[in-house]
Amino acid sequence: MLELNRRLRFGCSRKMVAAAIWTLPFAIILAGSMARVVSAADSGDSALLIQIKQEIDQLKADREKDRQQIQHLEQQIQAIQKQPAQAPPNQPSATQQATDQQLKALAAKVAAQSSPQSFAQEVNDYLGRYRFTIVGGAAGGFIYDRQSNINTYNLDLEPILLWQISDRMLFEATIEASLPSGGAADYELPVATLQYFLNDYMEVVAGIFDQPFGDWYEDQSPFWVNRFITAPLPYGANALVPGSDIGLQLRGAYQWGAVGQIADYTVWSGNGPGYNQATCTGNTSPSPLPSCSTRALVGDTLVGVNNIRLNTHTPAFGARIRVYPLPVESELGRLEVGASTYDGKWLNGLWLKSWGADFNYFKGNLQTRGEWIQSYRQMPGSIGADNRQGWYVQAGYFLAGVRPPLMPSSWAAILDKFEPLIRYSGVNQRASVLSDISTTPGIGFNGSPAVFAPHAREVALGLDYWFAPSVVWQNEFNFEMPGAGGFYSDTGARVGAVPNDRAFLSQFAIGF
Amino acid sequence: MKTKALMFILVVAAGITFSFTGWAQTAGAQSAAEKRALFMRGAELWPVYCNTCHNARPGPEFSPSEWNMIMMHMRTQANLPAQDARAILEYLKGSR
Ligand code: HEC
Repeated sequence: MLELNRRLRFGCSRKMVAAAIWTLPFAIILAGSMARVVSAADSGDSALLIQIKQEIDQLKADREKDRQQIQHLEQQIQAIQKQPAQAPPNQPSATQQATDQQLKALAAKVAAQSSPQSFAQEVNDYLGRYRFTIVGGAAGGFIYDRQSNINTYNLDLEPILLWQISDRMLFEATIEASLPSGGAADYELPVATLQYFLNDYMEVVAGIFDQPFGDWYEDQSPFWVNRFITAPLPYGANALVPGSDIGLQLRGAYQWGAVGQIADYTVWSGNGPGYNQATCTGNTSPSPLPSCSTRALVGDTLVGVNNIRLNTHTPAFGARIRVYPLPVESELGRLEVGASTYDGKWLNGLWLKSWGADFNYFKGNLQTRGEWIQSYRQMPGSIGADNRQGWYVQAGYFLAGVRPPLMPSSWAAILDKFEPLIRYSGVNQRASVLSDISTTPGIGFNGSPAVFAPHAREVALGLDYWFAPSVVWQNEFNFEMPGAGGFYSDTGARVGAVPNDRAFLSQFAIGF
Repeated sequence: MKTKALMFILVVAAGITFSFTGWAQTAGAQSAAEKRALFMRGAELWPVYCNTCHNARPGPEFSPSEWNMIMMHMRTQANLPAQDARAILEYLKGSR
C-alpha cells in the first residue's frame, strides 16, 4: 500500500489509480477470505496436525520397538541355529547341565536325609558291623504208608543261627525241633560250629558238624534243598556212615584252571562212629529190664553224635575231595565229581572204614546226582564183617523247557514251576536189626518206609512245585521193591520175601 | 601215635597258613573299577555256582549285612574259592 501511494504521489496516471481503486475491494475481500483461511488453520486445524504428528511419532516409536524385537528374535534364532554346531554332540547343553546339577543337588539332599542306602547304613551302624541272623528251614507234611497203614501229619522246624563275629569268623548253630508222628516234640542240636577263615585257601571249622562225607549230609539234607522228601536209602534209617561228628575240619578250594575249574578239599577228625548196641531182644517195658549184656550185631544202626560215648581213644579221620572240571565259560553246565573216605574205630580195635564216590551234574533245567558208598565194619568174635553198600541216582527236570502244543499260553508260568523227579536207591547188607529200625516213615532221614530189608531197593517219583527258589510243595511216591535175602540179626530169623510197600508223602517246605 | 601225627599236621598247616595274607570277607578299600569287575564276575558265577545244590537265591532276599554272613556260611558249605565268593557277594549286594 505504501508503494502504491508513493506511486500515486510520485507521478502515477489517473487510469492506474482508478484501476487500483476498483481492484482494492476485491483485494480486500480476497485478502479477508485468505486471512480467514489462514486463521482457521491457525486455530482448529493446528490441533489436528499436532495430533497427527503425535500419532506419527507414536507409530515411529512402535516401529522402532518392533524392529528391535525382530532383531532380538532374529538373534535368538541365529543363536539356536548355531547351537548344535557349537556344542560337541555328546556334551550336554547348558540347560541339561543345569538340570543335572539340580538333580545331583537333590539326590545329595535326599541321600543326606533317608535314602534306602543311607537308612540301611545307619541301621547297620546302629546295630554294629558284625551281626546275627536267623536262617534255616521249616517243613510240614503228610505221610501215608500202605504197609504200616499210617496216615500222619508231621512238622519240622530247623532254624540256623548265624553270628558273624569278625570278618573271618562265623558261628553257626542249627536247632532242630520236630514233631514226629506219634511222638512228643523233640529238640536236637545237629550243628554248632565255629568257622575261621585262615586265608584264601584254608578254613578251620570246629564243633559238631554234618559229616562232610559225600554230598548228602552236608549239602542235600535240608528240607528245601533236598528235591525229595525222604533221604535216599544209603543215608536213611540204616545209614552206612554216621550223619554227624564232633571235632575239627580243615577245608578250602583252589582254582586250578579257567574260572569255575576248581578243586576243593575237606579233611577232618572227629570222635568217631558209634552204634546202637543195647538191643536185648525180647525185653519190653516196663522197666526195670532184666539185665542183658549188650552185643554188637550185624546191621546195627549208627547213633547220632549226641549219644556217642567215645569208645575208643582214637579219633576218626575223614577226607573228601571234589573236582569241577568244566569252566564256567564253556557253558557245558556244572559237573562235580568227588571222592570221600571216613575211617574210625567204633569199638576198641574194631574199625569202620568207608569210602564213597559221587557226582553231580547240572545244566539249565536238568539236574542229576548220584553216589556210591561202601563200608566195612569189623566185628568182634566170629560174627563176620558187617559190610554194606549203598547207592542212589536221581534226576529232576524243570518243565520250564517244555511247551506242549495247544497249551494255553497262560499255563506256561505254572508249568515252569513244576519239577518232576525220579530216584533209584538201594542198600545191600547182610542183616538188619528188627528192633532198631522203625518201619514207621517220617520226614527226612527215616522217610523210606521199607528200609527194614537188608536188600532194600526203592524207586521214588517226585513232583515238586516251586513257588519261589526256596518255597516248595513236594509230592513223593515211594515204591519199595520186594527183595529177598539176609536175616534179622537180633531174632536170627531169615528175612524172606519183603512186602512190596508203597508210600505217599506230601510236604510244604520253606527255606528262610 | 595217630593223635601226635594229627597234631603235627595241624600245627604245620596252621604255621603255613598264618604266613599267608589273610582273607577278609569284605575286601577292604577297592576302586570303583575293581568293584565293577568283581560284580561282573559274580553275575557270571552266581547262576552256575549257586544253583548246584539248591535253587539260586537272588540278591533282594537278604540285606547286605545278611549276605555277608550267608556268604561266609556258603563259602564253608560249598568250599567256594575265596575270590569267587567275594565276586558273588559283590553281585548279590549290588543286585538288590
Ligand atoms: C555245596 C552245596 C551248596 C552250594 C554250591 C551253595 N549252597 Fe547255599 N545252601 C546249601 C545248603 C545245604 C543250605 C542249607 C543250610 C544248612 O542247612 O546248613 C544252603 C543255604 C543257603 C541259604 C539260606 C541261608 C543260609 O545261610 O542257610 C542261602 C541264602 C544260600 N544257601 C545261598 C547260596 C548262594 C548265594 C550260593 C552261591 C554262592 C550257594 N548258596 C551255593 C548248599 C549249597
